Amino acid sequence: MRPLRFALAQGLLLNEALGALRAIGLDVSGVTPGGRRLVVDGGEVEFVLARPSDIATYVERGAADLAIVGKDVLLESGARVIELVDLGFGACRFVVAAPRGAVERSLDEYRHLGTLEVATKYPNVAERHFRERDIAVEIVKVAGSAEVAPLVGLADWIVDLVATGRTLRANDLAIVEEIASSTARLVANPASYHLRRREIAPLVERLAAWAAA
Amino acid sequence: MNDQSPIGPPRGFRDVLPTEARELGVIEQALSETFADSGFTPLYPPLLEYGSDDSVRRRRIQFLDSDGSLVALRPDLTTSVARLVAGRYREMTGVLRLSYIAPVFREEPAMSGGSREILQAGVELVGGDGALADAEILALLGESLERAGLAVCESTLQVGSIALTGGLFAALAGEVRVDVLHALRQGDIAGALNRARGAGMPADQLARAARALTGVESGPEAAELCRVIELARERWPGAVKGWGAPNLAVVPALPYYTGIVFEAIHPDAGVIASGGRYDLLIGAYGTPRPAIGFAIDVLQLHRALFAEEWRPRLQRPLVVLRASADERATLRCTASLRAGGLAVALGDVAERAGRAVIEAEVIDECRVRLADGRVTDAATLGSEIGS
Repeated sequence: MRPLRFALAQGLLLNEALGALRAIGLDVSGVTPGGRRLVVDGGEVEFVLARPSDIATYVERGAADLAIVGKDVLLESGARVIELVDLGFGACRFVVAAPRGAVERSLDEYRHLGTLEVATKYPNVAERHFRERDIAVEIVKVAGSAEVAPLVGLADWIVDLVATGRTLRANDLAIVEEIASSTARLVANPASYHLRRREIAPLVERLAAWAAA
Repeated sequence: MNDQSPIGPPRGFRDVLPTEARELGVIEQALSETFADSGFTPLYPPLLEYGSDDSVRRRRIQFLDSDGSLVALRPDLTTSVARLVAGRYREMTGVLRLSYIAPVFREEPAMSGGSREILQAGVELVGGDGALADAEILALLGESLERAGLAVCESTLQVGSIALTGGLFAALAGEVRVDVLHALRQGDIAGALNRARGAGMPADQLARAARALTGVESGPEAAELCRVIELARERWPGAVKGWGAPNLAVVPALPYYTGIVFEAIHPDAGVIASGGRYDLLIGAYGTPRPAIGFAIDVLQLHRALFAEEWRPRLQRPLVVLRASADERATLRCTASLRAGGLAVALGDVAERAGRAVIEAEVIDECRVRLADGRVTDAATLGSEIGS
């Protein structure tokens, strides 16, 4: 049987993820952030680097057995994976934001026009949130910088992921409400988790202990 | 049909062509024979059921019927069987052993490429109660997979229990427990433990739950499951000693299970079968009855078999007969070959689906010329192919 394949998200979480794996004694020396080698031998496991949004797909479809990925990615993708450990780092929140002082105006617009335009990179999270709230919205999918949308008249509100809120403030946006909070998770493919529990469980135990410390 | 209509079927549906269809047919036959050998008898629930707006709705393919009622392509056969048993077998209190091989339909997000049609082969044992029934159905699942050609190893069948897994969180108040079980059904073990911690579950119980759900072994809580697995091994010893793994982290997504649950898992195909006890579902339609069953995802089973290089047993070869100018002699020759026990197609067969073919040309009413020039009659050819 091939070694356990562990997918890691390139990007903001990578350094902390590598730190966690190093702390529980895995050899991550071959993984270089920004490097060109995307499949790296790490002794008892094999590491695969991929874009965060692809990680959930890799694990859901069994191309990787394990991964460290943000809850935000899981919420947006809806991937069917097993979430094993809340690792605590990479904290951020999905929020609804609107131009400062414009909430009243947009609610008035909602009364008159019956719908709000919401720009976001996360259409699934946004759609689900407003459906649960029973608020009629038109989702405008953008590939980046949703915070600009209200400034240029593309949308009334945005749904975005914020860590510190600095970007929102810089664009004169204020949080209307919080949708969900997110941290990094250790996830597993369901079949792999059950079939290879003996190999996976010790990693879960060590990472849970590391996260609790 | 206008020129803009796409040629392929709607999203999530696909054509099954003869090579695949033949293999599926072989698998289905092995499964239905296995079910029948344990006394299960086939039935056909309808393709459409009434729709509803409960929580499963998001995965249903629903539409309005011409009389305005909301209908759904059946998302699941267990629910259909439960409805039918509560209605049509209301007066019958004895044990029912029912089986089916039929498609179910589930909504998948657009662009995911996910299949919306799933072929299920399963059984439902209605009225059977206790460890004996649990063990029988678990054993039947193992036997069915093996008779279809799958190597059932120690970890193929993972056995859990909703009652035992729920029991890990017995200290929590009702509505928190509902949240915790909901998270577990979604596969969110970390979220379930977070919720329990947030609701003030004592640290030792939390540690016990974490160990049962994520530890190497499921721990002492699983002892009851080990007994059922041991009983099941008596009923069906299997090719490997010690098949069946107790695992309290097995929590199927379907909400109606109440007791033992199990999944068959293959490294290439993922979950190929799932089942369990659902003692409250039939009661929801009016007449409470204990019940247990399983459903095998036939296409996933086929995928697993293919990964293990399984191929269906060879069919007897097909004689493809080229007609002579004499139509009457051609048809009489065909009849005599058929009477000699041969499979015969008159004219060409372009799609052979892997079947071996013997080409022959009609000479007269009882003789044919083979591709190598040899002339033979129906009886000789029949005995040659038969041997």
